[in-house]
Amino acid sequence: MAENHEQNGDGHDGGHHTNYKKIYFTLLGLLVVSVAGPFLEILVITLITAFGIAVVKANLVIQNFMHLKAEKRLAKWILATSLLLMALMFAGISADVMNHEGRNWVNLAAMAAVERGIVDPHAEGEVEEVEFVAVARTVEADFNLICATCHGTGGLGDGAAGVALDTPPADFTDPVFWETRDMDRILNVITNGAAAVGGSSLMVGWSASFSAERIQEFADYVLAFRPEE
Amino acid sequence: MADTAVATEHVDHHAGEHHGPQGFLKYIWSTDHKMIAMQYLFTGMFMAVIGGYMAYVFRMQLAFPGISVPGFGQVSPGEYNALVTNHGSIMIFWVAMPVLIAAFGNFLIPLMIGADDMVFPRINRLSYQIFLISALLLLASLFVQGGGFGGAWTAYPPLSAVGDYNQTAIASSMWLAAVALEFVAFLLGGINFITTLMNARAPGMKAYDIPLVCWMIVIASILFMLSVGPLIAGAAMLFLDQTVGTGFYDPARGGDPVLWQHLFWFFGHPEVYVVLLPAIGITIDIVATFSRKKVFGYKLMLYTTVATGVLSFFVWAHHQFIAGIDPRMANVFMVTTLLISVPIAELLFVIIATLYGGSIRLKTPMLWALAFIAEFLIGGVTGIFLGASGADIYFHDTYFVLAHFHYTFFPIAIIGTFAAFTYWFPKMFGKMMNDTLGKIHFWGTIIPFNFIFIPLFVLGIGGQHRRIYNYEHFPDLSSAGQYQLRQVATIALLVMLAFQLVFFYNCIMSWWKGKAAGKNPWEANTLEWTTESPPPHGNWPEGLPNVYRGPYEYSHPDREEDYWPQNEPD
Amino acid sequence: MAFPKPAATLRSSTGIPTGRLAVWWLLASEVVIFGGLLGAYLMFRLGHPEWADAAEHTNTWIGAFNTLVLLTSSFTAVLAHQAAERGDGKTAAKFLVLTIGGALTFVMVKSVEWGIEITAGYTITANGFWSFYYTAAGLHALHVIAGAIIMGIIAVDAYRGRELQRVELIGIYWHFVDVVWIFLFPLLYIAK
Repeated sequence: MAENHEQNGDGHDGGHHTNYKKIYFTLLGLLVVSVAGPFLEILVITLITAFGIAVVKANLVIQNFMHLKAEKRLAKWILATSLLLMALMFAGISADVMNHEGRNWVNLAAMAAVERGIVDPHAEGEVEEVEFVAVARTVEADFNLICATCHGTGGLGDGAAGVALDTPPADFTDPVFWETRDMDRILNVITNGAAAVGGSSLMVGWSASFSAERIQEFADYVLAFRPEE
Repeated sequence: MADTAVATEHVDHHAGEHHGPQGFLKYIWSTDHKMIAMQYLFTGMFMAVIGGYMAYVFRMQLAFPGISVPGFGQVSPGEYNALVTNHGSIMIFWVAMPVLIAAFGNFLIPLMIGADDMVFPRINRLSYQIFLISALLLLASLFVQGGGFGGAWTAYPPLSAVGDYNQTAIASSMWLAAVALEFVAFLLGGINFITTLMNARAPGMKAYDIPLVCWMIVIASILFMLSVGPLIAGAAMLFLDQTVGTGFYDPARGGDPVLWQHLFWFFGHPEVYVVLLPAIGITIDIVATFSRKKVFGYKLMLYTTVATGVLSFFVWAHHQFIAGIDPRMANVFMVTTLLISVPIAELLFVIIATLYGGSIRLKTPMLWALAFIAEFLIGGVTGIFLGASGADIYFHDTYFVLAHFHYTFFPIAIIGTFAAFTYWFPKMFGKMMNDTLGKIHFWGTIIPFNFIFIPLFVLGIGGQHRRIYNYEHFPDLSSAGQYQLRQVATIALLVMLAFQLVFFYNCIMSWWKGKAAGKNPWEANTLEWTTESPPPHGNWPEGLPNVYRGPYEYSHPDREEDYWPQNEPD
Repeated sequence: MAFPKPAATLRSSTGIPTGRLAVWWLLASEVVIFGGLLGAYLMFRLGHPEWADAAEHTNTWIGAFNTLVLLTSSFTAVLAHQAAERGDGKTAAKFLVLTIGGALTFVMVKSVEWGIEITAGYTITANGFWSFYYTAAGLHALHVIAGAIIMGIIAVDAYRGRELQRVELIGIYWHFVDVVWIFLFPLLYIAK
């Protein structure tokens, strides 16, 4: 279907109108297919019809309506470069943003969001309290990954970041510490941050990142450091 | 209908008909590329004074904590943050880019390719107007409630996104809007420059006959255009986070702050090459003229520059080595970062090789060009330490980084500007600058410059972190020796600022009473020196030139003269 | 009084007329702007399968209708170009006006669509999906409006037989705006 579209002033009306019209109706046909695709409810087909067709349609518009096919190579290089850069950008950034865990890190907030799902403002009846589904990691693993940076794996307050602070975190194995702490306070600090009880704002609240269940588990874990009387 | 390579050289239909606006309007409504260049130049230099003032204030605070700084007062922590943020933003976006690219690009490109103006003069004027609005918006942001934006020029969220955190909610949105407008201005300008260079060349001027400074400015414009897109998208998202309360960068709402970092630096790294390339172009052109020698490798420089440009898109995450990115990506970016030092070093080697064996004339512009090479080299090699991701764990966010980028940015933005300004002043204003005063200004800038930043290297290696308004809060960083270094740096800055008065005096006296320059006081080859100083509207009213040879035909063996202008027929 | 063009504007060392070359560069810069935004959206969308619940509520039929409108407007734009090539400014202007009509239809339909969605509670701050939805479609709509305005100015000139080469240029820009929508449509309306 290669048309030789003349660029000079004298138009060849019959030939050209047919060509543009043909492209236009092809585009419309493709639109219909892409809308119909999802009705088959097969994911792979939907993706092909939706995005594959989008690429085909875009190509038709670019080559024929924009006349890129008749244009000098320079213009094609300019556009190709910009597209390649977008691929590069995606490749470089997606490793951090698209994934929710790597070898040494985990994006808890994103994982929690996936678990929570989207709350529909039009849910029938009462909007139920959204329950977190427990993330399948042990408390110990989470404590060592998240908390131990400051508090140390043994709860001594000797984590790498903790020792660098002007006022290091308290030693959980010190009986003196426990004279003024109980379960309620520990729960409060983990949920809302130490500033809520007049402590350092460096200990943030974790209610957005962990379920209430997991926070209770953390509190139990901390209480386990308490020395036997 | 627009046609192909027909050069309509009969400029006489302009004569007597269209001279552009007259009188006062000429200075604010002209579409002449030379006038627009002046507008960018003066706006950029004005902003440089403001940025320099900010540096003065915060350096006084750092050297003498708690002092009531003369001409400002006591510096509060919030004000300190606003000063460093706006100092950085102003110097990059409102000084380096407008002066090196917009001012000199506008002035030089049409002249150097033998054209009568840019191809889109009205869009040219529009881009300056948008730029001016962006500058005014930024300056206005300094005076609103809460003060100027204090989230660093890198504006990382959540600090930059949440007014409660940065305490400068109004200014943070104004700053962002100002930056976005500046981007739009440079996108428009860039299209003008690129299209003009590609299409509007004089008959006979092949691609390799274009002076390198023009290539550099245009390649820089291309780099800018292709890299700024994702940041414009990211800035729109940040603006919405700031104003409407979306959560693009808020983890609790499903967003990711690291996304901003990536979008910012995907642009931010090519951006440094956007400003570097014009400075290198200015340097090589000056070196060729004042060595009376061809450029050692014109095509080598051109292709190396293109390679640098391409590679510059592959290094961005070296700014994020310890931000929590995937360590495997860090390895990739380390390799590419160390690699990019090779083509840049090569560019400097070509400049040095051009000097070798030349008949050197040590006029003021040449001194600035030589200083560029020396100082930028120091900046470049210190970058290698930072490119090694392991070493960067220690160096990141210390003054080592700061000294590194000042040893690169200062040569680019300040030395490059003075080199270009002293070289093309005769063409722009028709008068010669006083060379003795120029040399005094030169030494009074360069020597103090080193005394500012070498102490900062030492402090950085010693662990001094950036963006801290008072080191008295950190016992490890408040020793007497460290304070002495800070004071040396600050006093050196005061000396350097004082010597800038010599420059301003020289400018004004030369413009007023300087010796008439004539067409070609430096005996240079490129086309801008073949017309009057300053060039009239239309540049060559008697007819646009044709080109017969390359731009660096100095000391040609068959000639008696040691230069051979491009427009002289064989 | 027409602005006298410098000789520079009429030169063409590359063989591509200056105006068209400039438009290709403009498109390159727009590709990276939209590419940045849509790339970011794609990363989030692929990492957050739960956004499918939010995406359920976009109206595929309205989206498809708007796609039809834009495709048709691209068709009229290229017919305008064809007329301009023949030197027929009046016909070119007529087709450009039809294209602008398509633009206005698109914007009106979108306004109605957004009105429905906002009153239903799907606001820009509702969640990440909707934030991207409004930002991406909004940026696109701004480009539609800007393009329509410029197209109007060019249509007026074309009607008077002036600057006919600009009909092609605004057409190329217009097709680009159409291509962006061709990708936005499946991203926002079909991938559920």
